[in-house]
Amino acid sequence: MNGQAMNSTMQAEPLDTNTAQATPLAIQVRNLDFYYGKSRALHGISLDFPERSVTGMIGPSGCGKSTLLRVLNRMYDLYPGQKATGEVLYDGQNILAPGVDLNQLRSRIGMVFQKPTPFPMSIYDNIAFGIRLHERVGRSEMDGRVEDALRRVALWPEVKDRLQASATALSGGQQQRLCIARTIATRPEVILLDEPTSALDPVSTARIEELLDELKTEFTIAIVTHNMQQAARCADQVAFFYLGELVEVDSTARMFTTPRESRTQDYITGRFG
Amino acid sequence: MGTEPAHTVTRYDQELDRLRGIVARMGGLVERQTAQAIAAVVDQNEEAALEPPELDVEVDTLERDAESLAIRILALRAPMAVDLRLIVAVLKITGDLERIGDYASSIARRALKVEPLDGAMSFSALRNMGRLVQENLHKAIDAMACNDSERAMEVWNADTAVDELYTAMFRELVTYMMEDPRKIGPCIHLLFVAKNLERIGDHATNIAERVYYAVTGEMLPAVRPRGGAARKGN
Repeated sequence: MNGQAMNSTMQAEPLDTNTAQATPLAIQVRNLDFYYGKSRALHGISLDFPERSVTGMIGPSGCGKSTLLRVLNRMYDLYPGQKATGEVLYDGQNILAPGVDLNQLRSRIGMVFQKPTPFPMSIYDNIAFGIRLHERVGRSEMDGRVEDALRRVALWPEVKDRLQASATALSGGQQQRLCIARTIATRPEVILLDEPTSALDPVSTARIEELLDELKTEFTIAIVTHNMQQAARCADQVAFFYLGELVEVDSTARMFTTPRESRTQDYITGRFG
Repeated sequence: MGTEPAHTVTRYDQELDRLRGIVARMGGLVERQTAQAIAAVVDQNEEAALEPPELDVEVDTLERDAESLAIRILALRAPMAVDLRLIVAVLKITGDLERIGDYASSIARRALKVEPLDGAMSFSALRNMGRLVQENLHKAIDAMACNDSERAMEVWNADTAVDELYTAMFRELVTYMMEDPRKIGPCIHLLFVAKNLERIGDHATNIAERVYYAVTGEMLPAVRPRGGAARKGN
């Protein structure tokens, strides 16, 4: 074989862009183990979340992807018997260390869940509630913040005339956008989304995906999804988890055209189980 | 490719198998067309000359079948990774195979207008070229059937010899035509045959490139080794 020809083989152009190396990192996970009681759910995970980009996390049920998401803002702290070891570096600090201010952490690393979780109060108060939790804000500033958050999720035109109406009266897709608005209203740096569209219809799903594309210019986003196409559409890099291990992480284009690991390939091509 | 575990959805596997089957059938037909076209010329075999254009009808039909099945799979299965690469490769490979069939038919139609020139090297050169092109085509189709990237690479590297033979023939035939204008007719036919064979070789190389991509996920360089003079000789 012609050695020179081999050396000059190349990847298709877009596959080479490795966002992980090009941009600064918002979160660095290092050797993370996680336990539900005695059962170990994550095995030595090390993963970087580049700033202002979307990291998609995929894998079959029980692979640990949602667990990792819950570690990133220490959501697991709410449950006794759950324990994380290793490091999660955020803003130069290991957020797993004792003494971390969890309220402040969660205001900077917000989370959106699978099912829309609007509070049983007005649309306005759903947004204002989160802000009041962390800041003292005057009435007119609050109005501005609420409007701004609703505008960013493209919900403002739909709700501006009924801000005092109950949030639970909104459609599923609107509720989910409201939840995202509530999350960004506290001006976080990172947004964690746990299957945010799995309960939504395709049009609402497309709206959320479009929204992610806009939000990533400002926020670092980590999204867990069962929908491979969604990861392909939204994410800049994709991490594949299996049985609590991080099998492979790479640029989205590379993951879905030429994954390195056969387990990744089997999963994304639908050859699993 | 091909050695992967089965898909969870059996129908998906069946569709991919059907697609592979269509391409394999096309490959077989096109090889036959090429072999018969070459025999028609170098052995002046009238019967052999009839076959390539006849087979072309089925080749064209298969190309359309492969295309519509590939589009269907793209739309309905959203293939990823190795499956996606297979389908992209198939779409391109069937195009190459169809072109090869056209060239073979064109050679066959011209076969009986070619005259062996007394004492000329060209006819035996044509025989050699035909043998090399058939060998490369066979290897390319084999590489495709066996998902063999190394064999694909062999084909990719081997086309230089075909280019060189073509260049040599071109020069020789130009000399003949200058020496004796009465030979211009048969020489032109011979030259077209050689050119078509050379094009078949190029398409075999294209197939090898697609196979290499489908199997490894890597693209071969845009510029492949070739007989440098061949291009200038056009």
